[in-house]
Amino acid sequence: MDLGSLLNALILGVSIASIWLIAALGLTIIYGTAGVINMAHGELIMLGAYSSYMLQFYLGLPYLLCLPASFVIVGLVLERCLIRYLYNRPLDTLLATYGVSLVLMQGVRLLFGSDPKYLAVPEIFQSNVMLGSVSISVFRVVVLLVTTLLVLALWLLFYKTRFGVQVRAVMQNKEMAASFGINSGRIYMMTFALGAGLAGVAGALFGVLAIVLPTMGASYVVQAFLMVVVGGGSLAGSVVASGATGELQSVFAFFTNDTLARFIIFVLIVVFLRFRPQGLFAQAGARR
Amino acid sequence: MRNLYHNKIAQWVVYVAFFAALAIIPVTVSDSFLLNQLSTYGVYGMLALSISLCWGFGGILNLGQGIAFGLGAYGMAMTMQMQSQTESNPIPPFMLNNSLDHLPMLWQPFQSTAFGLILAVAVPTLFCAVFGGIMFRARVSGPFFAIMTLAMLSAFYTIILDRQAYTGGVNGLTPPSAFQFAGVEIDPYSPTAYWVVFGFLMGATLVAKLITQSSFGLVAQAIREDSERVRFLGYSVAGYETVIYTISGLIAAIAGCCWVMLVQYVSPAQLDVGFSLSMVIWAAIGGRHSLLGSILGAFIIQGAQSYLGDTFLATWLLILGGFFIVVVRFLPNGLASLVETGLGLFERRNPTSSPAPDGGRHMPAE
Repeated sequence: MDLGSLLNALILGVSIASIWLIAALGLTIIYGTAGVINMAHGELIMLGAYSSYMLQFYLGLPYLLCLPASFVIVGLVLERCLIRYLYNRPLDTLLATYGVSLVLMQGVRLLFGSDPKYLAVPEIFQSNVMLGSVSISVFRVVVLLVTTLLVLALWLLFYKTRFGVQVRAVMQNKEMAASFGINSGRIYMMTFALGAGLAGVAGALFGVLAIVLPTMGASYVVQAFLMVVVGGGSLAGSVVASGATGELQSVFAFFTNDTLARFIIFVLIVVFLRFRPQGLFAQAGARR
Repeated sequence: MRNLYHNKIAQWVVYVAFFAALAIIPVTVSDSFLLNQLSTYGVYGMLALSISLCWGFGGILNLGQGIAFGLGAYGMAMTMQMQSQTESNPIPPFMLNNSLDHLPMLWQPFQSTAFGLILAVAVPTLFCAVFGGIMFRARVSGPFFAIMTLAMLSAFYTIILDRQAYTGGVNGLTPPSAFQFAGVEIDPYSPTAYWVVFGFLMGATLVAKLITQSSFGLVAQAIREDSERVRFLGYSVAGYETVIYTISGLIAAIAGCCWVMLVQYVSPAQLDVGFSLSMVIWAAIGGRHSLLGSILGAFIIQGAQSYLGDTFLATWLLILGGFFIVVVRFLPNGLASLVETGLGLFERRNPTSSPAPDGGRHMPAE
């Protein structure tokens, strides 16, 4: 049990945490604002991975730039066509978006086949850096940086802009906000689009870290939802929840194995919810 | 009587007709493979019924019904596996392949068929009681509970996959011979197996129907509508939720046992997220507020899947997903609500029926 490999596990934990967080961010925003359970989030991530595969394959564009924009549009379409009819019916949003996820998954399978695709890592990210005795791939550092930047940008958006004030007002009391002239439907629409855009970014990053498959989304969405539940549906909650569980998982995996670590984490989450069902930082006035 | 759909006598008549029709199927079907397939529909029906009870009547959306189903199925498969082991050969072959030299503690109770059967049903039921108790007492409800069941399901899935020496890993368990009960071998392709499964389906439906009509069922439905108000009336909401969730798990566990009896096989695929969600889809499309509607939903969807799935394998999920979206969006109470509306229209034309102030539209279907 040398210190070096434990340190390695801890650093790996940060990396796991950043992946969970980036998958959970979009979900948190959509759930926290509109109370929509977006089961199709995993498939949006999967689509993000596939579209960056296509961009890379056919165009060679810097995918991190074009992806979010296209996913904002996907989110807008989804919201206008389906989600907006289901506000205030959280269980139905869950079911309907699961239908969407089935359609997306099977659609992608029809278009691209079930065989795995691989995203090439840009050359500058291919190397490893040494931190003391621990070697970390540069791409994981990039993921960490992107996550940090996203969290920062979201914090600025929600707490320093006019839009953010409106979102928080709608979140606290939709009717009151509406009577002050805030168009809550528009706010819901925009937060959904924002969440979908984040899923696109997540997809582009995950596509490099893992194999790109039509079914890849399902594995992310359960994990990401757990982070939202533990966090209590708030942005800060999700950040802390992802960080803590990512680290714990990594440490448990160091002493046992990966599967057992996941199981232990899950049992801990159940026990945690027994004592704090509202999650880490539940927002005042957030629904349910 | 304003809508025949809500007439209790009419409902019982339909139930009796439905199960009478099901019971005579083995007399008319001589193809034993078809009969075996029809028997598995009975298992799907039981699962849809359990979802309807839990979600349609109790308001608890359970996306992890595969836990109860899978644990029941594994218990049954372990019992059947041990039936094929003899004194001289006490260890199942897959364990030898994983270099175990003695029967694990986990497996030892299954050497007795009776005890194994009890465990196969009791373990999942107990699990539901404990897990449900913890969650509902902490007032985890609605979508959060759904997500917790989903996560619990994937936790079980990974642990069964990982403990290969004890569970057979991804290959699962394939007991070599049919289930023997009290010295009689139950051939999975025989009418006997069919009647056993449909006997359980009928029993479960009867119990569920009586529960929903009892005062317990009324409180459960009130919790579905507004749990806060029921709590203020002094009822233990968590207690009611736990009981209805546990009964639903019990039905799913029995379904798991029946399923293994029919197919002599279990694998982590039975705990796959997709399978548990398809149970919810059956109930949603058939009509979750209707026990019979949910069962028929399972029959229709699975029937369509085995018919269309062969010809349009790739597009089937696309069709199912699209259909599901349309039903949730436009027909939240499923196809059964079409019957309700249809019968309501018929009654409205009939001038002798007494006028109903609210048309009974928001009454629970059964």
